[in-house]
Amino acid sequence: MMTFDQNAFLIISTASMIAISCGLLGVFMMLRKMSMTGDAISHAVLPGIVIGYFISGSQRGVEVIIGAGLLGILATLIIDFLRKKAKVQLDASIGITFTLLFAIGIILINLLAYKVDLDQECVLYGEIAYLPIDLWITNSGFSMGPRITWLALLNLLLVGSFIFLLFKELKLTSFDEGFGMVMGIPAGAINLALMSMVSYTTVSSFDAVGAILVVALLVVPPATAFLWTKDIKSLIKLTIGIGIGISVLGYYLAFLADSSIAGMMVTVGGAVFLISAVLTSKKFKFRLGTQSNQEAFNS
Amino acid sequence: MIKQVENPLLEIHDLTVSYDQSPVLWNIDFSLPEGKLIGILGPNGAGKSTLIKAIMGLVEPTGGYVKIFNKDLDQVRNRISYVPQRESVDWNFPASVLDVVMMGTYGRLGLFKRPGKKEKDLAFSSLEKVGMTAFAKRQISELSGGQQQRVFIARALAQEADLYLMDEPFAGVDMATETAIFQLLQEMTKEGKTVIVVHHDIHSAMTYFEWIIMLNLHLVASGPKSDVVNEDLLRKTYGGKLNLLTKVTEIIRQQEFNPLKN
Amino acid sequence: MEDFLYFFSFQDSSIAFIVLGITILGIGSAYVGTFSFLDNKALLGDAISHSVLPGICLGFLLAGEKNPLYIVGGAIISGSAATFLTSWLKSNTKLSEDSIIATVLSTFFGFGIVLLTVIQKTGNPEMAGLNQFIFGNAIGILEEDLWVYGGLSLIIILSLSLLMKEFSLLVFNQEFGRAIGYPMDFIRLVFNILMILSVVIGIQAIGVVLMAALLITPGAAARFWTDRLSTLLILAGLFAVISGITGTYISFVLPKMPTGPWVVVCLSFLALISFLFAPKKGILFRYISRRKYLRKTHRDHVLKSLFKATEEGKKGLNKNELLSLYPHHKKETLGSISYLLKHNQLNNIQGLIELSESGKTEAKRIVRLHRLWESYLNEYMNIAPDHVHDSAEKLEHLITPELEELLDNRLRYPKLDPHQENIPRDHDDI
Repeated sequence: MMTFDQNAFLIISTASMIAISCGLLGVFMMLRKMSMTGDAISHAVLPGIVIGYFISGSQRGVEVIIGAGLLGILATLIIDFLRKKAKVQLDASIGITFTLLFAIGIILINLLAYKVDLDQECVLYGEIAYLPIDLWITNSGFSMGPRITWLALLNLLLVGSFIFLLFKELKLTSFDEGFGMVMGIPAGAINLALMSMVSYTTVSSFDAVGAILVVALLVVPPATAFLWTKDIKSLIKLTIGIGIGISVLGYYLAFLADSSIAGMMVTVGGAVFLISAVLTSKKFKFRLGTQSNQEAFNS
Repeated sequence: MIKQVENPLLEIHDLTVSYDQSPVLWNIDFSLPEGKLIGILGPNGAGKSTLIKAIMGLVEPTGGYVKIFNKDLDQVRNRISYVPQRESVDWNFPASVLDVVMMGTYGRLGLFKRPGKKEKDLAFSSLEKVGMTAFAKRQISELSGGQQQRVFIARALAQEADLYLMDEPFAGVDMATETAIFQLLQEMTKEGKTVIVVHHDIHSAMTYFEWIIMLNLHLVASGPKSDVVNEDLLRKTYGGKLNLLTKVTEIIRQQEFNPLKN
Repeated sequence: MEDFLYFFSFQDSSIAFIVLGITILGIGSAYVGTFSFLDNKALLGDAISHSVLPGICLGFLLAGEKNPLYIVGGAIISGSAATFLTSWLKSNTKLSEDSIIATVLSTFFGFGIVLLTVIQKTGNPEMAGLNQFIFGNAIGILEEDLWVYGGLSLIIILSLSLLMKEFSLLVFNQEFGRAIGYPMDFIRLVFNILMILSVVIGIQAIGVVLMAALLITPGAAARFWTDRLSTLLILAGLFAVISGITGTYISFVLPKMPTGPWVVVCLSFLALISFLFAPKKGILFRYISRRKYLRKTHRDHVLKSLFKATEEGKKGLNKNELLSLYPHHKKETLGSISYLLKHNQLNNIQGLIELSESGKTEAKRIVRLHRLWESYLNEYMNIAPDHVHDSAEKLEHLITPELEELLDNRLRYPKLDPHQENIPRDHDDI
């Protein structure tokens, strides 16, 4: 009988929370055809994170989040500027912006290494395995548990509320932005809010899974779920399920292979995606969702 | 032949719109009466969609203005409904027919509120008007062109507006759907609503509409159909772009910036 | 300073060799990337760069060391798998292109990270070199590696030059190419292979994560300077080489710094300069153009006002009267007046500003164009007389003599405009 491994539980639940936050936002990024923008944002926030670390010293605090938030907005502004004023095509604008900002981030890490203990590789894939020892100790010396877990929980609550409160607006603007704008729905503001949430989530998940793997969590579970269902509520539930599944499997397989947990989570996600793609392709036909033949609705 | 109207529902005044540094609408000036079924005709590239978008505030004019119910757009948004072209959305989106129609109710609900029974009932009655109640739970990716169009119209009906602007609602749609939609539009105007439709075919336009606008980068005509549909005006509309206008547009496009902007 | 001289005098043959290598690498990547950029598939390069990581790691694992042949082989296999998967997903699922690219990119990369951390744990000392693939380390490239990568780059450059016609068709007019019998699918395949090769060689200097910049930015920047493909490619290559060498130099001077980010910063800087200062398309140029245009239009307006004054029987206007016509544009008006005086289109006769002979001709021309256009709008476009002025006010500065002739012809040389004002002709005064 396996004893309850507290560390494993902590790591898996934290990873799940991160996967769920990213997945929820990722569903809407996918529907808005902005998956690569999500990729760009998660790279672009790096300089903000480094500067935040630098300013706040060894205490990783609010400065980091603010720094990243500002950079997420800066990235969107630069992309917009390139497109509208410099008339560069969209994909090139995204590519130029995020590579530049990410490069600046790496340079800053190296230049500020004396004060910022970020390591280049850590930026890429984080290290969630260290989670249990990175504890949040309050001023009175009481240990509240792993810091990253609390961050992930806060992030999940914020993302969850955001999606819940603005669900119909997000749905509408993702489907038909023009129609929404005519009705008076503030499509621009909603888009900005979504981008900001993605920036914030990237930062929050940074320590655990690194900047680059946040992208995988944003993109892969929703894409996988979309292969199976065309109903938005099922899509969201399936994304959450897949997120949890790959956290569990990812952890145990990483343990077996002695590799990066985040990397393994993504690999598992990729495998699930691939299998789903094959199973749901025109050759096989396992599909969930409504039937194609005539059927009266049920209330 | 441009007939102006007293107490117009919609007034377009000296409207000029450019797309990408190409002027697409030149000094458009007309007014429309209430409660009629109005068609906008013109060849491809005449600016018909642009006109609708300018009315809806989706594109900024470089000159002139639009007044609806004698007010600015922002003050009367809840009285206007927009049916965009079918190709403007990705029909692979994960939504059911009912989901899409309910979107029409979001404007009045306001931010953060969730749609409830009232909205659902409104959606169902809209679906009934277009004959799609049986499809309520169907995924929109499984619909035919005509069915998609009906869903868009049901969504517009759910807005409970007074003025409806529709961009090519009859395009690529089967005869049965076309007839059904037309009948619906007629009923709507009988109830006092005003419906403006961008249409692509002159012949059916004669049967469907009471008032016709003819556009070819500039306003050729606007008035009751009997006054407006004659050979001379049709030639002006469909007989090709004005040569001079094309040349001027070319010159404007070649400038390094838009000389028409202030 | 010493370092600078040492580096750039190329006394050290290994440095000279590396610089040569980077040059060839840069050109190869920039060429391929530019085509990709023109094809609107810029981010595909990003996906391919990320996806070669697992192949590189596998190559390393199999060889037990950093053997370039194994590494290149592995990279080609995983890059090809990613490209194939991307097209398969596009044809067989309803997922959108951006979603597919992001998925392939991140999952391959994630798998690569797994392999990387496994290799790290084995403690193989050779493995330190693998990190250079992530962020680039030009100085860390070994001479023997350079032969392989340099060779590949030459293959790329040669293929592109030989197949320039075919690739142009692919990017600019695929349907046409198909219609005239070119095997477009095969050409696409060859292009993809070249793209994978260029990624493999480029990541030496810039690393997997930032490789996209080496593909996209040179082409995007060069685009601002020219519309011709051959010039575009040369410029893109030049930008890539300059940035590559700069990045290498910095790596040389600051050994702890990875090369990649510096190459990107340099490329972005060159891109910024292009966006700002390129003639015709650059922002600064467009701004200056616009200012010049506005000054010219204001001069035209001054000439018109003076002409209208003569229509009212006055000989001219004094400075204050002119200034009062344009209440918020005092500086512009004064500038126009002095320009026109200097160019002899105006004469200042005892404080009264009058049109000279040439000034009068020009003023008449502008007024004529204005009133002709108003007539055209009114007659041919049914636009009411009180709505034609604004349009004419803007277009009077643009209508060419050729267009003027057409207008006059169409309107049958009218005498009066919609406001019943006279349309001035050159022979009026006779």
